[in-house]
Amino acid sequence: MANWTRLQLTAALVLGLVGAAAANDDRPETPLLDTARGAQAVPSQPQALVVLDVAAADTLAALDVPMAGLPSRLYVDYLNAEQAQATPVGTLFEPDFEAIALLGPDLIIAGGRSSAQVDALSEIAPTVDMTIWGADHVDIALSRLRSYGALMGRSAQAATLEAAFLAKLESTRAAVADRGRALIVMTNGPKVTTYGRESRFGWIHNALNLPEAVVEQPAAATAEAAEAAPHGEAISFEYIAEANPDWLIVVDRASAIGQDNQAAAATLDNPLVTGTEAWKKGQVIYLNSASIYIAGGGIQSMTATLEDILAGFARGG
Amino acid sequence: MAETAAPARVSGGSPAGRLGLCLLLLAGLAVLSCAIGVTQVSPLALFDDPRAAQLLLVSRIPRTLAVILTGATMAVAGVIMQLLVRNRFVEPGTTGTNEAAMLGLLGATLLAPAWPIFAKMLCAAVAALLGTLVFLALARRIPPQRPLLVPLVGLVYGGILAACASFVAFQADLLQYLAIWMSGEFSGVLSGRYELLWLAGVLAVLAYLVADQFTIAGLGEVASRSLGLRYRQVLGFGVVVVSLVSALVIVTVGVLPFVGLVVPNLVSRIMGDNLRESLPVVAATGAGLLLICDMLGRVLRAPYEIPAGTVFGLFGAALFLIMLLRRGAHG
Repeated sequence: MANWTRLQLTAALVLGLVGAAAANDDRPETPLLDTARGAQAVPSQPQALVVLDVAAADTLAALDVPMAGLPSRLYVDYLNAEQAQATPVGTLFEPDFEAIALLGPDLIIAGGRSSAQVDALSEIAPTVDMTIWGADHVDIALSRLRSYGALMGRSAQAATLEAAFLAKLESTRAAVADRGRALIVMTNGPKVTTYGRESRFGWIHNALNLPEAVVEQPAAATAEAAEAAPHGEAISFEYIAEANPDWLIVVDRASAIGQDNQAAAATLDNPLVTGTEAWKKGQVIYLNSASIYIAGGGIQSMTATLEDILAGFARGG
Repeated sequence: MAETAAPARVSGGSPAGRLGLCLLLLAGLAVLSCAIGVTQVSPLALFDDPRAAQLLLVSRIPRTLAVILTGATMAVAGVIMQLLVRNRFVEPGTTGTNEAAMLGLLGATLLAPAWPIFAKMLCAAVAALLGTLVFLALARRIPPQRPLLVPLVGLVYGGILAACASFVAFQADLLQYLAIWMSGEFSGVLSGRYELLWLAGVLAVLAYLVADQFTIAGLGEVASRSLGLRYRQVLGFGVVVVSLVSALVIVTVGVLPFVGLVVPNLVSRIMGDNLRESLPVVAATGAGLLLICDMLGRVLRAPYEIPAGTVFGLFGAALFLIMLLRRGAHG
């Protein structure tokens, strides 16, 4: 028994040395990755990846990077193929640590909903927090795309994707220019919240130069509070009537997670909302909620959101 | 109106006078509530601006009515609960009633998402009824000389039910859906979206009709039986009223903690426990206090909203602590 163990140790040592030597030959340094917690050293060209963030999975899938482990539910249908090939490793909020350990990943990519688990996951394998958050949403998302490209040796593909996205962004920006003010709302059952410039959906305003339809508020600025509230600011329908947006951009939280018992349109269909310019002109845009709400920041998700907006503005009067 | 022959108490004023005062204040608050909102509407605009009139009819008046109905019926439910359990510290929020209703609602949403809201509400009501009966069975085992143990047991019991609800909701990705019911607020109220609350109002009126029997039941099972009361029936009716009111309020606006706890205590300090006299005042006070909280929630961070339940929670907890401490000081 003791001999066997020693043999194993030696083998591991030899393999490790060979591995290290090989690494030294091909890739002399461990690359630094820009993460939500600053630059972090990561193994170069990791083979087995566990991805616990839908935005990251979205972008990695666009780069054709195989993923060994993914959450058991991703909520977005365009990742079904990746989902089918990967081992399920728990949920976004509660990863299945045993399943992840069994996979023996080289790198774990967490972020957003799984970012609270980064420290615990680091005990299994190197883990990076790739959360995309804040007003620089698009910039961060594109820098994530470049990082993944560089890390996986697919920089050229990343550059192509970025160029395509920027072109789409430019054409959408042109389409929304001088078409009026927009209000982004999320419906959650019978209740409504709004998302301003500083919120998680604020990039729609910022990146597209789309003016915000707001109700003037007292001097006590609530911008930081709006950013802090991940589900937006609670408003009444009277707020929507008063803001009177030309465009109403709607995210239905229930449909984002596959519930469909109180649709956004039913919630909004009341005299206060139907009196707005947006409703009268048929300028209400229902975004693909799973895309923007669950996978927000993924390159495919952002492109899909732009396409939704583009299509909405093309239909509108 | 309450009996006119009621003996005057230390704080002065007849019960009818107090009720009149309460109703007057409530009417004032209601008018104020109709005047507060994101849109500035001057009283004059009501006559020549159809949009202002529409705003009032579609949003402001329904919202004000919803708050009044909720506050009044939750306070009444609290007072009934307190008499039936013979404990000052219980209300649907400390007896597992709300949590049980939530479980029922969750179950209905999961198993039969297509059911109309009324059917789901009935599921919630049945669950609330079962939950309350279990609590009553638990409370019966607590020695009467340990009154604080009753709400503590109720809170633990409610916590267990809430944990079950959270577990189920987590599995089904309904946690934030659950959160809609957990925080009571009125931002979504419009005409056509709150009318179930009128049913709760009817139940409160029914409770008022048998107020004397609840008062006697508050003396305890033995005493009320010897006075010829059908104790079981009264108890049963009370539990049904409390469960239905809780379920109706949760389905329409969400859980509002403390209303049923604070208001009856407040009123009983002044008026005693004769429900025939005090119940209308309890209802009016509950409505008024909740209305104040809802208005604060609309004004403090305007044009955004703070849930009325949150405001009442702060305010109610403080008020309740003061009452507890003062009670201690008086022995």
